[in-house]
Amino acid sequence: MPQVMSDQIQLPSPTLPARGGSGPVEFVLSRLASLKFALTVVALIALACVVGTLIPQGPQQVAAYLERHPGATSGMNLLSLLGLTRVFYTWWFVGLLFVFAASLTVCTARRFSMIRRSAGVQRARVIGSFITHVGLLLVLAGGAVGVIWGQKGIIQLHEGESASQAEGQEGSMLLPFTVRLAKFALEYHENPAAPVGNDKLLVQWSAKKFRAEFPIDLKVEHPVIPPDAPAGAEPPFKVSVLRYVSDFSLDGSSGEVKSRSDKPNNPAVQVSVTGGGRTNTQWVFARFPDFSDHGGMADATDSMPLQFRFESAHAVVAAAGRQWSIKAFKSTLEVLEQGVVVDSRTIMVNSPYSRRGYTFYQVNYDPNDLTWSALQVVKDPGVPVVYGGFILIMVGLTVVFCVSPWLDAQRRTKGGIS
Amino acid sequence: MNLLFNLGMAAYFAALVCAVVCLISKRKLFDLLANLLILAGLLTQTVYLGLRWQQAGRAPFSNMFESLVLFAWTVAVVYLVLRIRIRIPWLAAASATLSALAMAHASTFESAIQPLMPALQSNWLSFHVMTCFLGYGGFAISALVAVGFLVADRKGSNVLPETRETLETILSQTISFGFLFLTLGILTGAVWANSAWGTYWSWDPKETWSLITWFVYAAFLHCRFMRGWRGRRAAWISIIGFLSVLFTYYGVNFLLTGLHSYAS
Repeated sequence: MPQVMSDQIQLPSPTLPARGGSGPVEFVLSRLASLKFALTVVALIALACVVGTLIPQGPQQVAAYLERHPGATSGMNLLSLLGLTRVFYTWWFVGLLFVFAASLTVCTARRFSMIRRSAGVQRARVIGSFITHVGLLLVLAGGAVGVIWGQKGIIQLHEGESASQAEGQEGSMLLPFTVRLAKFALEYHENPAAPVGNDKLLVQWSAKKFRAEFPIDLKVEHPVIPPDAPAGAEPPFKVSVLRYVSDFSLDGSSGEVKSRSDKPNNPAVQVSVTGGGRTNTQWVFARFPDFSDHGGMADATDSMPLQFRFESAHAVVAAAGRQWSIKAFKSTLEVLEQGVVVDSRTIMVNSPYSRRGYTFYQVNYDPNDLTWSALQVVKDPGVPVVYGGFILIMVGLTVVFCVSPWLDAQRRTKGGIS
Repeated sequence: MNLLFNLGMAAYFAALVCAVVCLISKRKLFDLLANLLILAGLLTQTVYLGLRWQQAGRAPFSNMFESLVLFAWTVAVVYLVLRIRIRIPWLAAASATLSALAMAHASTFESAIQPLMPALQSNWLSFHVMTCFLGYGGFAISALVAVGFLVADRKGSNVLPETRETLETILSQTISFGFLFLTLGILTGAVWANSAWGTYWSWDPKETWSLITWFVYAAFLHCRFMRGWRGRRAAWISIIGFLSVLFTYYGVNFLLTGLHSYAS
């Protein structure tokens, strides 16, 4: 825990000492510098924030709310009329932020003048407080720069398509280069085209009361030894999984088994059983356990006493209609200038690509069309200013809450104050 | 893994029992035992979190179960750091209760390690969540102290003025600590959001409630250190601030939807 401000010493108020003059400008400045005024503005902003989180904001949220509560249409219309469904973009909320910024500016300016009047530990606190407030002002200024000069737009591309402009809420946003979507890829945490680690093949030999579970490790032979077999005896059967397909399909003409897709819509394993000088193969389906497709020595089927079940995690997810857990969606972009590819980069969430002040973010994809991708393009010259503000805020708070108490403790130790 | 989780929770519950016995019997031995048990709970939880981190291959701070475990951990950390400097037996009981309840509540959620969605796959995850929760830990202890202060300050109380003064000092210190880390948490969250979505602030309910909480504690610090607010008023602001923390952490996850909806 950092050392914190001592209780014994208070920071001087930025409104003190009283400044000369009694004109309207001085009156406004003294109001803006007043702590009571600043806290009132902060309280109003906080209240607006509460309203803005409790009432659906923006057309999408409002529409979703009305879909769930159709009877609330008239009430929602009234709230929309009052601007309460877009609180953070209303003139009065922006006005509150302006007044807050003005109050902060005056307080910060007066705090600066206090630096000269203070000394020792108190000076360190005032400096820390001053830096923090300058940081806050920079954040607000950076935000304003972003709103005034920033641009935002969406580019939607299919693989192979290119664009040199993005569509924003305030019209098209022209780019000084062209981007082409070379490839889009969706990755899952599990590979749906392969069995997962805890998938298993259940083997049962009812007459011998034998039951075992084998992992789906391809072409590994597992011995089947019933409980009544003498020790050291040869296993009567050996079982192995020859093949896994995620979406079983049988070619009508050739009789060949294929996977219709990489999606685990119908996971199945081809099981081989060797015993009694014969080998039998059959397909076992995770989602259709009562159905088996026999191949190989079809005439030997009845003589094989083993029964199989295939437990597949993919099949459970598919049966429940759940979505596969997505690991990443990636767009490989090519940047063209005058028709020549000058750069190529794969972007994904948390890994954007920046070029000449424009940053590309992976924002959307279509699960039914995996050649399509949506990218957000942002040009925000305010970001460095905001980040500068962030740094100053943390530096200032560290000075106030850590450095200054440490100095105070040093002073007390030297002065023999316990 | 589950054994470690249960041991941690049991240690906090045992600490609570010892702290209560200490309050009744006034024997320091039970206070020592309570603090040792909180330390044992913290160490067990640290090992648990470390193993989970190793097994998951990422910081274990991504859902309600993991965040509640982290919350219990930060409350214990802040309490024990405070304990090094000052001994308050009832605060041991209150902190142990909070940590134990957080763990018990965590056990009602799915504890299996889940793969991370793309937005959470970032190095910012550990830094952002850890700093926010250290802030929450500080605010939780400050709220407990504020309640203790209000009880000590009631009419007819025979609590010494020095004790009240000590509680006020701890209140300011824990809030300052929480404020520093909450600020860092909000700022790292903003940088992360900019890297993931191209906007550092989007008025998402979780962001907005973090800002409201920040405003409440900023108001406390200004009133406390510039206007010298002390006593019951300061204690009440601290309690209001923690209610805001609870809504930011808990209420937003379950009542509101937004960019942080995965947290539920």
